[in-house]
Amino acid sequence: MGLFSASHLTYPNSHRFLSHAYKAYNHTGADIAVSVRDLHVSLGGQSVLRGVNLHLHRGQLVALIGPNGSGKTTLLRAVVGLQKPDTGEVRLLGENNIQKALPRVGYVPQRFVPDRSFILSVREFLALRLRETQSWFWHRHRDTDDRLMADMAELGVESLLDRPIAALSGGQLQRVLIVFALLKRPELLILDEPTAGVDSPGEKTFYDLIGEIHRRRKLTVVLVSHDLSMVYRHASWVYALNGVVCCEGSPEQVMNADALKETYGLNISQHHHIGHPF
Amino acid sequence: MTFLENLPSFMLHAFTVAVVMGPLCALLGVFVTARRMAFFSDTISHSALAGIGLGFLVGLEDPTWPIVLFSLLIAGAILWLKEHTDLLTDTIMALLLSGSVAFGIIVLSLLKNRRGELHRYLFGDILSVNLDDVWLAIVLSSAIGMWLFTKLSPVALLTASEDLAHVSGVRTRWLNYAFVLVLTVVVSLSIRLLGIILVTSLVVIPPAAARNLARNLRQQLILSLIIGLIGGAVGTVASYHWDIPCGPAIVMACLAIFILSLVVGKFWLNQPTRAKSA
Repeated sequence: MGLFSASHLTYPNSHRFLSHAYKAYNHTGADIAVSVRDLHVSLGGQSVLRGVNLHLHRGQLVALIGPNGSGKTTLLRAVVGLQKPDTGEVRLLGENNIQKALPRVGYVPQRFVPDRSFILSVREFLALRLRETQSWFWHRHRDTDDRLMADMAELGVESLLDRPIAALSGGQLQRVLIVFALLKRPELLILDEPTAGVDSPGEKTFYDLIGEIHRRRKLTVVLVSHDLSMVYRHASWVYALNGVVCCEGSPEQVMNADALKETYGLNISQHHHIGHPF
Repeated sequence: MTFLENLPSFMLHAFTVAVVMGPLCALLGVFVTARRMAFFSDTISHSALAGIGLGFLVGLEDPTWPIVLFSLLIAGAILWLKEHTDLLTDTIMALLLSGSVAFGIIVLSLLKNRRGELHRYLFGDILSVNLDDVWLAIVLSSAIGMWLFTKLSPVALLTASEDLAHVSGVRTRWLNYAFVLVLTVVVSLSIRLLGIILVTSLVVIPPAAARNLARNLRQQLILSLIIGLIGGAVGTVASYHWDIPCGPAIVMACLAIFILSLVVGKFWLNQPTRAKSA
């Protein structure tokens, strides 16, 4: 059986991804970062994912879009093994055993609210990620800092080392979480609504930064976003999800009113911003 | 060492257990409070009453093992019900806490020669600590202390975020079980000294006092450990000198340190009582 099941081709707008599907079919598994086949997931008796199929190519910046409750977060959680599927198959970085692939994955969850009674500093939090800094309790700060500083500087958060993570603003916390995800030099970076809690001006800078990291590190990036202008600017491939994959394709293909209407179930009009089409 | 040499043996036993279990409870407490498991600790300590009742019912003079075993049974029941039912964790714990207390009280009231024991176990008694308890406390606290410091990074990451811990390769399910096991054993073994009603305070007050003074997790762990040590030692000595129950004496000593830490933290170190967002 090929990478795409027959049922996948029955989804509306399938013409948009036929060429991509054909490529995926003919590629070896090594080119695929994430492969999901006929994934069904229920939460509290409600069916959230109903036969999702997707194949993310290495090196792409893939955006998952869809309305609230469409299963975007559930899909990402299933991909990293946080959510057990009812049926279906997930293959992560060529591994059927997700646990084996996790050392090569960076993940930023949608919701992370540090407890104020737990006074974990940014330095200590980041040190928990790496084997060589896990004995931070016994080491001098300088030894730990040497290992963390380059990644912190890349995200512009090097001045936050001594701050408790519970005292960071939304934007600062998201950057620190990305440093956490990047510390192990992952091949795949998964960001679940990375701008939740970030103010509007900060969002653009943030997505520019993600785009820059994607280019510089040649990573595969998968992110959930509600910001369609970001999707248009940075994503190389888009999946529109609403329980199933409604459509997929390049941003130009997916960002048309018909495709969005199908995904969101609404009449959507496009608002053209200066500099880019949305 | 004149002070220790002049103490009667029962007091020396109680003092040793206090300076061993106090820091251990306080150290674990840093994670217990951050993981909002204080009520779990309370449930475990109260379930000991049923263990005591069962121990006396089968004719044991020393109910230490029934306490530990029944506490483990209740901890297992909490985890099982949490995973296999839709009941809220608080509801599960309230059910088991009240059920254990009711069962213990009924059994003790039926054993007419044991009615006087209730007060000792509710509030702690330095007279009830024997040499076997001392050795058990030393061996177990050494083993648990070493385990905790070996697993400090995974436990800290699990406390900060179970999702991030999972994605970082921590076997969260097993670490959760191990943490619950350790906490159950420590709480049930501290009951002799502190009493069922007050044992949780030694898990909660030292980390809270340390939080007032600390700027990072390392400081919070060290300070919590020291406060647990001082509170345990001062409380046991006060209990001996003024002939007062041991549990309340230790709690009052810890509480005095907490008030001092609040004043010092707020007015001297200028620590914010609430973490402010930048």
